[in-house]
Amino acid sequence: MTQSIGVSMKRKEDPRFIRGRGRYLDDIKLPGMLYLALVHSPYPHARIKSIDKSKAMAVPGVKAVITGEDLDAAKLEWLPTFHGYDKQMVLAFGKTLYQYQEVAGVIATSREVAHDAVELVEVEYEPLDPVVDPYQAKEDTIILRDDREPKTNHIYHWEVGDKTATATALDTSAVRIKERIISPRCHPAPLEPCGIVADMNKATGRLTLYMTSQAPHVHRTAFSLVTGIPEDKIHVISPDVGGGFGNKVPVYPGYVVATVASVIIGVPVKWVETRTENLTTTGFARDYHMDVEIGATKEGKVTALRVSTVADHGAFDAAADPRKYPAGMFGIVTGSYDFPAAFAEVDAYFTNKPPGGIAYRCSFRVTEASFAIERGMDLLARKLEMDPVELRRQNFIKKEQFPYSSPLGFTYDSGDYAATMRKALDIIGYEALRKEQAEKRKRGELMGIGISTFTETVGAGPGKQFDILGIKMFDSAEIRIHPTGSGIVRAGTRHQGQGHETTWAQIVGEELGLDPQELLVEEGDTDTAPYGLGTYASRSTPVAGGALALAARRIREKAKKIAAHLLEVAEDDVEWKDYKFGVKGIPDKSVTMKEVAFAAYTNPPPDTEPGLETSYYYDPPNLTFPYGTYIAVVDVDADTGAVKVRRFLAVDDCGTVINPMIVEGQIHGGLAEGFAIAFMQEIKYDEDGNNLNTNFTEYLIPTALETPAWETDRTVTPSPHHPIGAKGVGESPNVGSPQAFVNAVMDALAPLGVTHIDMPLTREKVWRAIRNAS
Amino acid sequence: MNLEWSGQERITASKEKVWSFINDPASIASCLPDVRQTNVLDAHTFDATVGVAVGPVRGSFKFKIALEPRPDGNHMDMKINGGGLGSVIDLLAAADLTAEGDAATILNWKGTASMRGPIATVGGRVLDTQALRVISTTFENVRNRLSGNPPSQ
Repeated sequence: MTQSIGVSMKRKEDPRFIRGRGRYLDDIKLPGMLYLALVHSPYPHARIKSIDKSKAMAVPGVKAVITGEDLDAAKLEWLPTFHGYDKQMVLAFGKTLYQYQEVAGVIATSREVAHDAVELVEVEYEPLDPVVDPYQAKEDTIILRDDREPKTNHIYHWEVGDKTATATALDTSAVRIKERIISPRCHPAPLEPCGIVADMNKATGRLTLYMTSQAPHVHRTAFSLVTGIPEDKIHVISPDVGGGFGNKVPVYPGYVVATVASVIIGVPVKWVETRTENLTTTGFARDYHMDVEIGATKEGKVTALRVSTVADHGAFDAAADPRKYPAGMFGIVTGSYDFPAAFAEVDAYFTNKPPGGIAYRCSFRVTEASFAIERGMDLLARKLEMDPVELRRQNFIKKEQFPYSSPLGFTYDSGDYAATMRKALDIIGYEALRKEQAEKRKRGELMGIGISTFTETVGAGPGKQFDILGIKMFDSAEIRIHPTGSGIVRAGTRHQGQGHETTWAQIVGEELGLDPQELLVEEGDTDTAPYGLGTYASRSTPVAGGALALAARRIREKAKKIAAHLLEVAEDDVEWKDYKFGVKGIPDKSVTMKEVAFAAYTNPPPDTEPGLETSYYYDPPNLTFPYGTYIAVVDVDADTGAVKVRRFLAVDDCGTVINPMIVEGQIHGGLAEGFAIAFMQEIKYDEDGNNLNTNFTEYLIPTALETPAWETDRTVTPSPHHPIGAKGVGESPNVGSPQAFVNAVMDALAPLGVTHIDMPLTREKVWRAIRNAS
Repeated sequence: MNLEWSGQERITASKEKVWSFINDPASIASCLPDVRQTNVLDAHTFDATVGVAVGPVRGSFKFKIALEPRPDGNHMDMKINGGGLGSVIDLLAAADLTAEGDAATILNWKGTASMRGPIATVGGRVLDTQALRVISTTFENVRNRLSGNPPSQ
C-alpha cells in the first residue's frame, strides 16, 4: 500500500454519474404514490379573504387540497426557523408576505393533474402595499408581521468589536474611505431543485422521508420536534443530490405539506419543485448592504475598520446561521489584514420577499464580509494612489503573528499571506501586466488588474460556540473493516458533488494503509450513518474529515494489539511505518492491515474483542482559515461596456490537499459561480414586489461560452489543529473571486474616475458608468 | 410592473354608431384577439377567456371586463381584471370619441396595466409589445367592424 492523501485519484462516484445512473430524488417512484403541487400568491403582500377548493376538488384524480387553515387546525402551520428566534408559515395563513408564497397544496394521482388543479383553486386576495426596500422597511410605516411583538420590521441588531476605539481611530486617521458596498440578493440555483417523497407506513408507524437534504440528521430531528413523531419512527434518506450550495439546508413548505398529506392519507406523496419555485421561494443568498469605512495613515498603514450593514431577510428570519451568530461569521470582515481597531454591526429587517439568507457556498456571511473588505482595500489604495498589492502587503497579518487574535474575535490558525500573494504575482507576471496597462492607458484602452487576498473562516465548528437547534456542530465517522480488508466508511455529512466517496476513502486509506478503492463510503441515510450536522459552510473536511482520521486512528490502535499478537512481540515493540505494522529494529518482520483485519475476525488475541470497527464524534477545537490570492485581468470595451476576462489566476491555500484533482474541480466550479455573481446574477424585484428573475432566461447561468479559462495553483500551510492539517476548500473560489472581478473592472475604469459599481457588472451598468464619466 | 400605451383609430362611422358599438359587451368581446370564450353577464360586464403566449407564460387567462360609459357619450372606461397561471393583470383601457363630421369618428385610446406574477418576469421588452398588440388589435378590430373591413385578427 502506498500514499492515499495527495493523490489525484479519479472520483469513485463518477462512473454512475457520467453514465446517468445516479439515483436522484425524482427517480424515486413508489407504489400508489401521489403528487403534490403548490398554489402560489401573485401578490407580495395581501390579505387572503377566501380560498375556494371546490373546483379543484372536483377534478378527477385530485385527492386533497390543503390550506394554511387546515394546517393550523393540525397545529402544523408554523415552523421554527433554524436558530429558533422566529417562526415561519408553512402555507400563507391570513396574509401573504411575499410573491410566490405557498398558499395551498393540491394532492393528486399525477403531477400533471395536480398542476392543472392548482389553476382551479380560487383565492380571493385583498392586495396591500408591499415593502421591497430594506431601507423602507426601516421606517416602520408598513408593518409586515402582524404575528410578532413589538410591531416593527426590525429583526435584530448585532455588533462586535470596540465601537469607541474604532470611532476614535477613524476620526483621527489621516486618510479615510467610506462606500456603500452591496452584496446583492442572488440564488444558488442548484441544477436539481428541491424535493421530497414522504412515505408514511401506517402498518409500521414509520415515516420515511426521501429528501434533497444537505443535513439529513438535522432534518430528522427538526421533523420530530415539529410533528411530535418520535425520532426513531422517522427515517431520512438523502439520495444522490444534484448540487446544494446551501439551498438544501432549510426546511421548505413543500416538504411539510407532502409529509402531512402522507401521514393523513397513508400513501407516499412526492413533491418536486419547478425551477421557478426554486428561484422564487427557496433560500436566497446575500442581500447585505454594507457601509464600509477604513482609516489609514498617509503611508498606507490601516488604522481602523467600521462596517454597518442593513440586511434584507425577507418575510421571515430564516437565515441559516448558528444560533448564537445571527450574522454568521461576518466578524471575519477584517480579512487578511492587521487592523488595530475594528467594529461591525448588522441590523436585519423584514421585507416582502422570500425568506432565506442561506450560506450560498459560504460559511455564514463570509462571502459578504470578504467582498466588503477586499473592495474597501481597493478603494483605499485608490485614495492613497498606491498599488493595491503594496497596500495589502503592508497590512497583511504576518506569518509570525499566527495564531492571530483578530479584533472581531476570531483566532486565525495559520497562514502566510505574503508568500501566497508573491507566488500569484510571479505566476501572473504582475509587473509586466502593469507596464502593459500603462501603455494601453496612453492609447485610451481600458485594461484592469484586480486582486483579492481573502481569508475565510470555515468548519463550524467548535461546539462551545456553534449549534443548530441547540445541537452542537460536531461531526462523525464510523468505520467497519471487513475480514478481507475492505470496508465501509460512514459519515454524518452528505455530499452533493464534493467527492466525499473518494476523499473520505483516501483519508481512511491513508491512516490504515488500505486501498481507498476497497473502502465504500456511505452517507445520507439516518438509519445507518452516525449523527452529523451535514455538509455546508465548508465544514465537511474540517469537521467530518477530522472525525474520519481520528476514527481510523482508533482502528489502528486496536489493530496494533492484533498485529503484536500476530508478530508475537509486545505491543510496545510494534510500530506503524510505511503503511504497515513492523517490529522495531527488525525491518523484515511486518503485517499488513489486511492481515490484521482477517485476524480480527479469525484469530484475535485472547483478551481482545473480535471485529474491527469504531466510530468517532469530532468537535474541533477551532475553525479553520483557508485563504488565497486571486488575480483577474480584464479588458473593457469602452463603446459597449463588455468585459472580457483575459486571465484569472487562483492560488489557494487550503492546508493539506487530499485529492488535488478534486480540489481543482471545486475551485473551477466555485469560480464559475463567482464569475456569474460578479457579472450576471441578481434576484431583482420591481417596486410592486414582482420577482423579475424567476427562470433561467432571466437568472443567467454561465455556460462554457461565457466562462473564462481558469489558472490554478496553491501553497500549503497545514492547519495546526486539524488531525490531517486540512482546512476545506469548497467555498474559497465563490468567496474570493467576485471582488477580484469587480476590482479588475474598477481598475480598468480608474482613468475615467469611476470608483464603484454594484454587482452584477452587466454590460449596461458598465456602459452607463463609462458614458456618465466621459 | 406598470405599463402604459396609447393610440388612435379613425373609424368611418358616426360617433353615435361607434358609441353604441363600444357600449355593447357582445360587440366588444368579438373584437378581442385570441379569444377562446366569452360570456356576457349583463348590459355592462362580460367574462372572456383569452389565449396568452408571452415568453414562457403560455396558456389561458380569464378576465372579467366591465364597461363604464360616461353619460356624456364621449368617454368609455373599460376595466379588465383577471389572469391565469399564477399571474394577475389589472388593465384600464379608456376610449375618447370625437366626431369628424357625420360619417367618421376619431377614437383615441389609452391603456394602463399593472401586472404581477410570472408575466411580470418576462420584462418590458417582450411584455410591452405583446400587450400593445392585444390592446391595439382590439381597437383596430372595432374600426374594421364598424368600417366594414375584415377584422385584423
